[in-house]
Amino acid sequence: MQITADRESLADATNPLGLDGIEFIEFVTAKPQALGQVLEMMGFRPVARHRSREVLLYRQGEMNVIINAHSGGLPRSVQPSDTPVISAIALRVRDAATAYRHALDRGAWAVPTNVEVMELNIPAVHGVGASRIYFVDRYKDFSIYDVDFTLIPTVDPKPPALTGMHWFGVVQYIGNDRMEDWTEFYAELFGFKTLPDDKRYGILPKGRVLQSPCGSFYLQLIEPEPGIVEVEGEESLQRIGFGTPDVLASVAALRQRGVGFVESQGVHSETRGALTQSYLGGAMFELVHHAR
Amino acid sequence: MKHDQVDIRDFGMDTISLAGTLPAKLQAIRDAGFTQVMLMARDLMGHAEGPEDAVRVVKASGLRVTGFQVLRDFEGLSGHLHDYKIDIAKAMLEMCHSVGAKVLLICSSTSTHASSDPDVLARDLRKLAMLALPLGIRIAYEGLSWGRTINEFTTAWDIVCRADAPNLGIGIDSFHAFATKTSLEDLDMLDPQKIFLVQLADFMWNEIPSVEERINTARHFRVFPGEGVHSEQVAELVMRLDRLGYRGDYSFEVFNDDYQGIPLPIVAERARRSAVWLSEDVLHRSLPLPGRMRLKRAES
Repeated sequence: MQITADRESLADATNPLGLDGIEFIEFVTAKPQALGQVLEMMGFRPVARHRSREVLLYRQGEMNVIINAHSGGLPRSVQPSDTPVISAIALRVRDAATAYRHALDRGAWAVPTNVEVMELNIPAVHGVGASRIYFVDRYKDFSIYDVDFTLIPTVDPKPPALTGMHWFGVVQYIGNDRMEDWTEFYAELFGFKTLPDDKRYGILPKGRVLQSPCGSFYLQLIEPEPGIVEVEGEESLQRIGFGTPDVLASVAALRQRGVGFVESQGVHSETRGALTQSYLGGAMFELVHHAR
Repeated sequence: MKHDQVDIRDFGMDTISLAGTLPAKLQAIRDAGFTQVMLMARDLMGHAEGPEDAVRVVKASGLRVTGFQVLRDFEGLSGHLHDYKIDIAKAMLEMCHSVGAKVLLICSSTSTHASSDPDVLARDLRKLAMLALPLGIRIAYEGLSWGRTINEFTTAWDIVCRADAPNLGIGIDSFHAFATKTSLEDLDMLDPQKIFLVQLADFMWNEIPSVEERINTARHFRVFPGEGVHSEQVAELVMRLDRLGYRGDYSFEVFNDDYQGIPLPIVAERARRSAVWLSEDVLHRSLPLPGRMRLKRAES
């Protein structure tokens, strides 16, 4: 029997948006070159610049990182400061318009768009703090960067990933008593699932881990240390996690490039994971043992 | 004004009980010894120097904001009416956030345009809770005694349970519970963690059977707990909630035309008397609550 989409809806109920990984992660900073140097140490290469704004695209393997030094002037957007801030996660979805509508229908806040002539209008909703969550559906045959960016000449537009590094996920700091709230937020709007407490990755097993409905990346929610009564305005996307099939090989390769790692009694590099030093007043990266 | 040392931290006044400007109201509330205040949208929008200055005035007062009121006739609408109310809700949430309020009060709908289907009402409240979530705001849903479909805390609780969002809970207003004569025994079925706000008021008449009388009394003739003829019920309600494990705020939701016409310190002092009565005589708060005691960690 032939089953076709025009006869019955076959959308996967556990992945209502057709989520398919992370398209890019964006940082906002007033010092894009300084962050660029840190990203290059981490194995990224600058591959393209935005046509109209002070925005750069860095890449390694499947991972795209955007450095945004453009002050958009929108309310509730992150204003560039010297310390880099993770300002957006772009999710790959089956259909961006449908995903956007799905999120708005369930109570997401739309981010007003501010596009220039001939630029793509990428829909976004507000995430934690002043961050945004974008929906991108052009990532197979052609990409969003083909439209809004120009390639930097003589640079390999597809630099390979260092030691097989890939997106693992993002760590989000949350306020006191906010675990259930944020778990519900990601479940309701995007279909994330809570992992059982005994399923943990990396060397920083605090908080709660949420798995994307496509199963390809994770969000880790971390509450303040017990006893800290009030952390007003401290909810944010704190760091990126990279998956790697061999943590110690990645640590060695990154060390050679000048990356320092936290080596203390509590946290140190091991086969499960590692944590880089903090750069530029707050940018740090985590390595997690995770094979593709 | 100097006050004897009675712990009235759990009780707060509503700005709606007082006449005058926002700074004058906040001053009177603070001078009476209160540490928290329930604000309404008009406090910000009616402030002569504008809403941004109102936020500054509230923060400078040192008073904690109990909550922000009130979103009306929100749930159960469809099409353009729903979209319109979403816009209103978003504006209220942003105001609520700006003053540092952690609770937005929503009253059950009175609209004849609204659906009566509990699942539709729950769906809309869940959406409101999601809108409030990134801002760190909790939604307290209150059954207005003249609500069209939901007019008691019992049915409001049913909708809250159906909606099942972590930041959606119930708001209880003693006035509405007494007006509908809802059995206070039904409070025992509530989860105290999901009671996000309790508003207290008394009134002078024994019975208010008709909807018109309820609206009229609610909006013009409420008095502070202990000042009306329902003091015993107020005390019972507070004691039941306390026994249940409720440790949140109590706010005095007292709309009263007379109080709008007399000096603010006199009204605030009446509110203080009420708070002292509830704290000392009803809840015996001079004794430390078990949950409030901070035990020293044993030396290892």
